[in-house]
Formats: sequence, structure tokens, C-alpha cells
Amino acid sequence: CNVINSFNEERLEDRQEELKLAQENYTKARNEFAARQTEEQMKLLKQQQALEEQFNQPFINLSLHQTIHRLTVNANHRVAESLRKEFKVPERRFWWLKIDALAEIGDWTELEKF
Amino acid sequence: MASGVSHLSSGKINLNLLRDFYRRELLESLDKCLGTKALVWDDALTGPFGLIAEYSLLKEHEVEKMFPLSANGLPQSNVQNIIFVTRPRLNLMEQIAQTLLQEEHKGGFRKEYHIIFVPRKSLLCERKLKEMGVYGTLNNIEEFNLSMIPFDSDLLSMEMDSAFRECYLENDYTTMYYTAQALMTLQALYGVIPNITGKGDCAKQVVDMMLRMRRELGGREPQITPQIDNLLIIDRNVDLLTPLLSQLTYDGLIDEIFGINNTSVKLPPEKFMTGNQSQEDSIPTEKKKIILNSSDELYAELRDKNFNAVGSIVSKRAKTITQEFDERHSAKTVSEMKQFVSKLPHLQQVRQSLSTHTSIAELVKEHTDTEEFMDSLRCQQDFINGVETDKVCVYIEDCIGRTEPLDKVLRLICVQSYCNNGLKPKVLDYYKREILQTYGYEHLLTLLNLEKAGFIRLHGQRTYPTIRKSLRLIIEDINEQNPNDISYVYSGYAPLSIRLIQYYARPGWRSITEVLNLLPGPTIEEIQQIPVALRKRRASIGSINSSTMDQKVTLVLFLGGVTYAEIAALRFLAQQDDGTNEFIVAATKITHGRGIMRSFIQYSM
Repeated sequence: CNVINSFNEERLEDRQEELKLAQENYTKARNEFAARQTEEQMKLLKQQQALEEQFNQPFINLSLHQTIHRLTVNANHRVAESLRKEFKVPERRFWWLKIDALAEIGDWTELEKF
Repeated sequence: MASGVSHLSSGKINLNLLRDFYRRELLESLDKCLGTKALVWDDALTGPFGLIAEYSLLKEHEVEKMFPLSANGLPQSNVQNIIFVTRPRLNLMEQIAQTLLQEEHKGGFRKEYHIIFVPRKSLLCERKLKEMGVYGTLNNIEEFNLSMIPFDSDLLSMEMDSAFRECYLENDYTTMYYTAQALMTLQALYGVIPNITGKGDCAKQVVDMMLRMRRELGGREPQITPQIDNLLIIDRNVDLLTPLLSQLTYDGLIDEIFGINNTSVKLPPEKFMTGNQSQEDSIPTEKKKIILNSSDELYAELRDKNFNAVGSIVSKRAKTITQEFDERHSAKTVSEMKQFVSKLPHLQQVRQSLSTHTSIAELVKEHTDTEEFMDSLRCQQDFINGVETDKVCVYIEDCIGRTEPLDKVLRLICVQSYCNNGLKPKVLDYYKREILQTYGYEHLLTLLNLEKAGFIRLHGQRTYPTIRKSLRLIIEDINEQNPNDISYVYSGYAPLSIRLIQYYARPGWRSITEVLNLLPGPTIEEIQQIPVALRKRRASIGSINSSTMDQKVTLVLFLGGVTYAEIAALRFLAQQDDGTNEFIVAATKITHGRGIMRSFIQYSM
């Protein structure tokens, strides 16, 4: 299974490659939902790579939720917001996430603002 | 390890017979190698074996050491034989091969190596051993057919936790083969079972294999009057809803919260310290292990009760026991004193078990009092009543938002899917997207697994309302203290599986053919012919033991697991019908929703 393989690959390029294969297979199998999600995962992986370079922190292997969470904990609200828009995170869940993350670092002023 | 096994023989069918059979088989395999022995255990087997043979018995057969099978190799020892006891799994074969190679490397004192496969050896495993180059090192490869482990006087389990996943996801019916084998063992000990009924695809598999095995015996079967009248096989696939709901019986809750393995549970130790213990040594870090079976009188009374009724029983018992202790003040004559002293050990035992169960109940209550538990329960109750099952549920959304355990979220979604006869594409895709974004992309596989097994599906034929109505699954007013219907085990919901069994016992499945057709899988009915001489004689009028002759013993076999709450409901049924129906429960595993969900979750590697 390509999805499992993609997690086993060490190198990022290989992982993207495996995901691409997975996506093609899902399209062939007419599983549109899975194909679209795989595409999103590829996008996310790219973003995470950029984030790792930018902040010198591990991001790869986190879910989208965890990624935004970590960004919020680091007070990178702008980047978090842009990810939220790009992946269309529903508001309700984003609030939960934000409250949780801000409470974790005790940033009450930011919590107040929002 | 438990030494007292009297609780096994107290039922209608003496399950001690089965245990003795396994003990003989095990010792026979062990005695085949001469000299001192060390056993190397596959971890998953130590629990079940503990219920069959205690350490002292093994010692009598020259077992001197026991090690767990691990990647670190074996400690130094000077026994003549090393015996690996293992399940036929490839990853375990690798470990065994590694261990063997390491031992070879150490050299020194010459030992003999053996493997005992439980319950069967497999060609694949033997090939693996050959590939790893250690097959020749082994002196002996044995099989030990331990599959149905007697847990209690009316309870057998095979402890195969992945049976359901294997059958419905991987199309691997090995466990069904083991099950058929186990049934043959039971028939050899307790006689051929005349009537076989079943529902579901796997049930059909098992019955077919069983009948073939009997034909292969070609009449060479032991001539015993059948002790078991009926065999009823229920495939978990027939009732996917029940195990997903939160169990509300005493042992159901203990299992859901702490996990009962091989009739014992491990609990946090803080609650179980007596006064002087806490002074002597500081807080024990090891978890307290408690054995739960019907040899504990109080547990036997409590286990099947709705948890809301447990408190009052415990306090009532506590009062009577204090009263009995107080009798010593009123005892005047020597004979009265004597009588009291003779009761003392029993009293102390009861008092001990009272304090244990008070502590356990407190631990369970801590959990059931939490908001999360109550909210999730309310959500489930709404779903099974058919309230707002067609929309995205706000509570589930919030659970995802709070990143609560994935198994809990999936469990609720599966309940909703079942009660809504599948979800609308929009709702389903929304949930799926939420889960992938929150818990990670790898769970795409988890979701596909659940869809394949039928736990979540797209909107389809509306069957749930019909099933609910005709089987009376929802009961409005229930009495948790003194129940009059099996629905007390889930506080208002009667387990579908047990309702089926209830109809089977009376008036028979013919009356509910329509509902049976709505449930997945074929219905099977077979009769095994038995020589006339061995048939049970009809109770003639005036016969002294006509009442016992009328009693029917039914072995109910759950393929893919059964929950404690279902067992409780079945025991309740047995008590209701003036004792004309006696049930023995067998299952591939005693399970709960969390366990089933976990077997489907794909963990990132």
C-alpha cells in the first residue's frame, strides 16, 4: 500500500512520490474523496517542509491540526491563519484549537482579543 | 496463578473436564522432552496458560525456568531443554530465530530446543524458520491445541483479539478454523450437539467446517450422551451496534475502563492499601492485580448488575456482615462461641472482598461521574432513539476539536451511521475530513478499514427503525435495581444479539424471519444425527428428575467477540425462564467497543 510506504520512506522526495502513486490509484479506483485528501496531504507535507526550514523545529508527521496548534503555541498567528484558510478548517474546531493552545502557553491577552 | 478451580465445575456443564483435558495434553507435550526445561513464553499466552496450569504443576514436570520471549535473548541457565511456547505468527518466528542464533553463538553446554505451537503450527512459520536457517537446530516441533479457555462455569473465551478484523478485512478465516476445531474438542468431551443454528457469514463457515470434520472422523467419535442440546452461533457482523455502546454493568464498566484480561484486572494501587502496609513501605508502584470470577461470592452477585444498583447491594452486604460479626458479643455458651469461630474464616473472606469491591466501585464511579462520560452516553442514547442522526452531531465535532481519543470519536460516528442506516455523503465526508486533518492523514486507512467492515457506510436501505421496533430494542421505563428485561444492561437499550437469542429460546426464530432477513448473512439450521441409544430420553410422567431432564443447555458462540454486558443479559435470561434454558457463552474474545475500534485503527509507523 502506497500510503503505508509513504510513512516508511526516509527521504521527503520519496514520500511525495509514494503519495502521488497513491493518489493516482485512488483516482483509478474512483475514490474521489481519498484522492483529494491525498492531494491535500502532499500540499501539507510541502508546507511542513518549509516550516521546518523557517523555524528549525520538527513539523513533518504532524497532522494539520497539530501543525496549527504548534504554530499557535509559538505565537505565529499569521502563519496559522493562512494554513487555516488554505485547508478550510471549520471555525468551530479552529476555536477549540486556539483556546486549547493559548491556554497551554497562558497567553491570556491573545485569548482575550479573540 | 489461580489454584482453586471449583468455580468451573459449579455450572450445568462441568468445564473442569475441559481444563483437565488441556492439562493432560500440555503435560504430555512437556514430558516428551527429557530432563530439565526452561519455557520461553510468547507474552500473549502466559495469561491463558495461567488459567490452565499453575507454576507448581509445571515444576513437577521439571520446568525450572520461565522467560519471556524478547529481542534481548535468554539469560544464562543450565537447563537441558529450551521450549518456546508461541502462537504461529511470523514476527514471533523472527524473534525465536534470533534467540536461537544468539544461543548458538554463545556455545558452551549443549541444549535441546523445541517449539510448541498454540494452537496449531503453520506451514508459513515453518518456512520462515527454514529461511532463517534455524529449522535444523530444533529437535521437536509440537502443537498444543489450546483454544477455548474456560473462564468461569458458564464462560469460555479463545482470546483471539483480531478475529473480527481478520475475517472482515483481511478475509483470513484461520480463526474460524480454530473455532471449528475447538467445537470438535468440546463435542469429544461433552457429546455431539444435536441442533445447530447460526446467523452470519462466519457462522456458516464454522458450521460447514465442523460438519466436514465430523464426516472425516467417520463415526469414530466417543459414545457419550449429549450434554449440550443446542449450539447457537452468532456472527458479530449481525450486530455491530451493541459492542459500540458504553456498557453499564459492573464488570462491563471495569472492562471498558481498566481492561479485564484472562479474568483478572490491574488497578491503580493507591485505593488498596491497608493501614499497616502504608507505613511499612512507601507507595507500591506495581499495579494491584485482582482476579475476578464466580469463586468470589460477592463479585458473582455484582458483576451482572447495572452499576447504579451496585452501591445499594454493597452497603446492604456490609450491614449484614457487621451484624454477623457483632454476634460474638451475644454468644454466651461455649457451643455458640464454637459456631461463631467456625464461621469466622468465611466472614473474613467476605469482608475482604467487600472492601476490594468498594474500592473498585469507587474507581469506576470516578470515571462515570465525569462530564465526558455522561455527555458521550447522552449522545449515544440520542442516536439509538433516532434523534438527529442525519446531521453532523455537534458533540462529535467538539470531541474532535478537543482532540479526544480517536477510538471514542470513531465509536460515536459508527453508532450514528448504524442508527441512520448509513450517513449522507455530505455528513460522512465532513467527518472524514475532520478526522484526517485532526488526527493525521494516515487515518485515511483507518476510515477505509471501517467502511470495508461495514461500521460506517453511505445512506442505504432503512432497516434500523424496523429492527428496533420488531425486536423491541428500546425500552422506555427500565428498573435498574430490579430489572425485568435485558435492556437494563445498557440502561434502556436491549442488545440486538441477545434479543435474537431470546427469540431463539422462545418462541423460535421462525417467528422473526422477516427481521432475520434484514440482518446480514445467511441463517443456518443443521441437525446432527445421533445414535438412538445415546439420545436423551424424554422425561416420562412421574419420573423423579423430570424437571432436570427438561432443562435445555445451549452453547452460544459469538464469533468476533462478545461484551460483558451481553453476557450479563444472557445470564439474566437464563434466570428468567424458570431455569428451563441454561446458557454457556463462548467467544473468540471478550471485547468492548474500544478494543474493536483499536483493532481497526492504523497507527502511523
